[in-house]
Amino acid sequence: MTRDGGLEVSGLRVTGRGGRTVGILPDLHAAPGEVVALTGPSGAGKTVWLAAVLDALEPPLRRCAGTVRWQGEIIAPGDAARRWRRRHTGILVQDAAQSLHPLLTAVASVAETGVDTSRAATTLEQVGIDASLHARRVHQLSGGQAQRVALARALAARPPLLILDEPTSALDSAAAQLVAAAVRARRGDPRVVTLLVSHDRDFVATVADHVVVFGTAPSASPPVPSRRPAAGATVLRVHHLRLDRPGGQTPLLQAVDLTVDAGECVAVLGPSGSGKTTLLRSLAGLHPVTAGHAELAGTRLPWPVRHRPSALLQAVQYVGQHPADTLNPAHRIATAVGRPLRTFRTTDRAGRLATVNALLTRVGLDPAVAGRRPGGLSGGQRQRVALARALAAQPRLLLADEITAALDPASTTTVLDLLGEMRHDGLAVLIATHDPAVADRADRVLTIHDHALHH
Amino acid sequence: MILRALVRAVLLLVGVSVMVFAATEALPGDAAEARTAGRATAAQLAEMRAATGLDAAVWRRYLEWAAGLLRGDAGVSLISGRPVADVIGQRLPATAALAGAALLVTVPLMLAWAWPAGAGSPAGRLVAAVVTATAAVPQVVVAAALTAVFAGMLAWFPPISLLPADGRPPGLSVLALPTLSLALPAAAYGAMLLRGLVADIVARPYVRDARRRGLPGWRIAAVYVGPFLVAPALRVLAVVAGGLIAATAVVEVMFGYAGLGELLVGAVANRDVPVVQAGAMLAAVAVVLGMLAADLVTVRTDPRRAMT
Amino acid sequence: MSIVTGGRLGFVTFAGTVLGLALFGSLLAPHDPTAPLGAPWSPSGGGNLLGTDALGRDVLSRVLAGGRHLTLTAGAAALVAAAIGIAGGLLAGWHDGPLSRLLHTAADLLLAAPLLLIALVFAVTLPGAVAVIAATVCGGAPLTLRIVGDAVRQVRHAGFVDAALGRGESGPRILGREILPAVAALAGSEIGARFVVALQLAAALSLFGLGPAPPAPDWSAMIRENVSGAALSPAALIAPAIALAVLSLTVAVVGNAAARHARRPL
Repeated sequence: MTRDGGLEVSGLRVTGRGGRTVGILPDLHAAPGEVVALTGPSGAGKTVWLAAVLDALEPPLRRCAGTVRWQGEIIAPGDAARRWRRRHTGILVQDAAQSLHPLLTAVASVAETGVDTSRAATTLEQVGIDASLHARRVHQLSGGQAQRVALARALAARPPLLILDEPTSALDSAAAQLVAAAVRARRGDPRVVTLLVSHDRDFVATVADHVVVFGTAPSASPPVPSRRPAAGATVLRVHHLRLDRPGGQTPLLQAVDLTVDAGECVAVLGPSGSGKTTLLRSLAGLHPVTAGHAELAGTRLPWPVRHRPSALLQAVQYVGQHPADTLNPAHRIATAVGRPLRTFRTTDRAGRLATVNALLTRVGLDPAVAGRRPGGLSGGQRQRVALARALAAQPRLLLADEITAALDPASTTTVLDLLGEMRHDGLAVLIATHDPAVADRADRVLTIHDHALHH
Repeated sequence: MILRALVRAVLLLVGVSVMVFAATEALPGDAAEARTAGRATAAQLAEMRAATGLDAAVWRRYLEWAAGLLRGDAGVSLISGRPVADVIGQRLPATAALAGAALLVTVPLMLAWAWPAGAGSPAGRLVAAVVTATAAVPQVVVAAALTAVFAGMLAWFPPISLLPADGRPPGLSVLALPTLSLALPAAAYGAMLLRGLVADIVARPYVRDARRRGLPGWRIAAVYVGPFLVAPALRVLAVVAGGLIAATAVVEVMFGYAGLGELLVGAVANRDVPVVQAGAMLAAVAVVLGMLAADLVTVRTDPRRAMT
Repeated sequence: MSIVTGGRLGFVTFAGTVLGLALFGSLLAPHDPTAPLGAPWSPSGGGNLLGTDALGRDVLSRVLAGGRHLTLTAGAAALVAAAIGIAGGLLAGWHDGPLSRLLHTAADLLLAAPLLLIALVFAVTLPGAVAVIAATVCGGAPLTLRIVGDAVRQVRHAGFVDAALGRGESGPRILGREILPAVAALAGSEIGARFVVALQLAAALSLFGLGPAPPAPDWSAMIRENVSGAALSPAALIAPAIALAVLSLTVAVVGNAAARHARRPL
């Protein structure tokens, strides 16, 4: 094994509750000047691996074997590792917005790493946070801005080891470019090493020198633009819809016109906070509309949802973006998927169970999960259960709100393939996303900016 | 902010006084019946009610009572016939000494227990278990255990805490058991409330991130945990003090300590309504003043309060 | 896995035995709990396993018979207060509005109110047990309401509630079928918490002589009766205290377990 500096990690083993080993944690050698990307499906242990390397695992996780060498020196766990983290590393965690001290201003947060205020301000500007935002506290910043402040904090002291966990997850593509530039600037500098965890393939491809894959390799089928099935009748027609924020004066979205045909997939693309979710939720009847109307196969959709007759409820199904709360933690999967069957389709118990199993198989899950509760499922699995639940109603229109945002590429591909397959049966899909790669798979892409939908 | 806290305290006292008055007066069985213990005829009762103003409308009697309280006139005890203010004034010093001594023990104990219990080390978990248990068992259990050990087995203190007859302040041996019986559950209850706050703050993402970034422990405690703990800790202290004042009744009855709480309990058993009303209002004033003090200190120490 | 389940089963058995003894222990009493049998505060032996009390009655029999009133009072108070609080919390969490904010403020203030004082004031006109129930409801129901209301507010916009709304289900049905199961563990822990507090109040009122009339046995009253004999017969003082402690700790542990279950991440 080489002893030429950089970061060397070997033989890591982490145990969790009850002494069970967590994941398969690969060895790694990052030479000075390198940018190494860690990829793999969610739940493969990337974040745990990072915490283990840093000796920052939280109970019940515990590192029980393995060595970490930095510039040839073994970093002993405990206080030595803490001082090493403080002096030699810059760390950006997932959910970066929550990692900022709520009472510190942006510039004070960055300066906490030991740099002076002017260096902190420069770094903030480098990641696209201009001076007007420097005195703000985290609650006065948007999610993307806060993520960039946290990134600036990680970068400011020019740490020899930079660790970025999903640095672009809350960013639009322009901001992601700035992050890519900041990482690329470190490339080749013999004093520094950069580790990077990301689901964003384009980002990884542009900045990383090499890639370490965690867990089983993702089935790297590149997203194939699916053939559009024979054009069907118009399922959804939206006419001049206006949506307001609760209590707000300016409209969130106005004069929204759109149609979705049977078997068609239409994507609504826009940055977070632009009103994609509200648009989809209001079509599902969960958010009031202030003007305009919508028709489903020629029938006016009433608002709010409780005024909709059963047939319309069944025909429009909404799947939300948060895998954590999409399923009731108290209900078994069979109950969750079976509920629409009971409500909309009068089948007996045995028939219902058979249908539930068929639906679970169809979304790529083992029917054995039917007896489990959501607590035992990963985010991707829960999202697929939510899709199965929506499909159980046999809808004509599926409103899919960022359903792949929390998923790794392999799960994303499966879920998108599934949507494509269902369209062949005439299902109309309206999908909201901030990810151009997802939007690419749609037949048409509509973008939101300036409170309006553009064709 | 300060004005709001003051207004709230005054409104709270008015509300408490209405509730105390309603609970003690508006229910069946009035003072006239209580005083005559069923031996008077209806005519005698009516005469008595007219003489003492009991036949007036409830709200008028409430206003008269409240006005009397503000003047320092709490009426006359139905049992002893002495002015309530005198009866209470005579008992107040003993209870004040007891509650004061107990608070002096409670505050350091509460802080000493809350910190390790909130941090979650193995020793901390043991402290947490002891604290939770002490706070959960009824106070008589703590008092009985202390008595069995210190008065029964070790015979350090007398099991009954009789006050000196000549009005001298009570000595340590008399105060020891009642004070500990008050302070241990109060400190445990306070530590339990604080422990949750400490654990909550320590688990916040920005504190975990600070640990991950390798900031030293003292800096995390001072910058990331401390500022968020001051205001709730003061409020916890006010709550604990209020509970401690009420709990003096249990301890005084248990140890035969002739204080205000014992007086109040006797008055409840004898339906001596004016004494109960005055005693309850006095305790309520103490509790509300404690909360007000906590509010005022919170405003002074945390100008960014609007943020959280 | 089997060890965990076994431990849980063992604990459930233990908790059931404790409650059973507290309620029906008098059936096992070797002597009449109210009959004097010998000299006051005599040590154990001679047919009195735990000795005799201040009036020469059998301590063991009195301990076995002395928990019923306390347990029933505290149980009734806990169930009434928790039921009101849970029902109110479901409604307040579902309908966000001025009422829910008002209840929030009220709960804040009541946290600081010494319940013992409220119970004492009620005890002027009400029997002791009713005063305990009234004070527990006044002081405890708003707290339960706030805790349950907060939990409901957290899940009100969850994906599974949206899905139920999308199936056209009515508010009461969603509350009963989606939200109540999701917050059930929390509701259980609230009943436990109210019981522990109500037991403290009931014990205090029994100590004050506002519980069962003498010579009926009552743990709390027994402690007071035997405190001056602490040196002669510690068992007469300690036994009822242990019984009271075991009862309240058992319920507290059950409640804490439910609360831990409720706090598990989704």
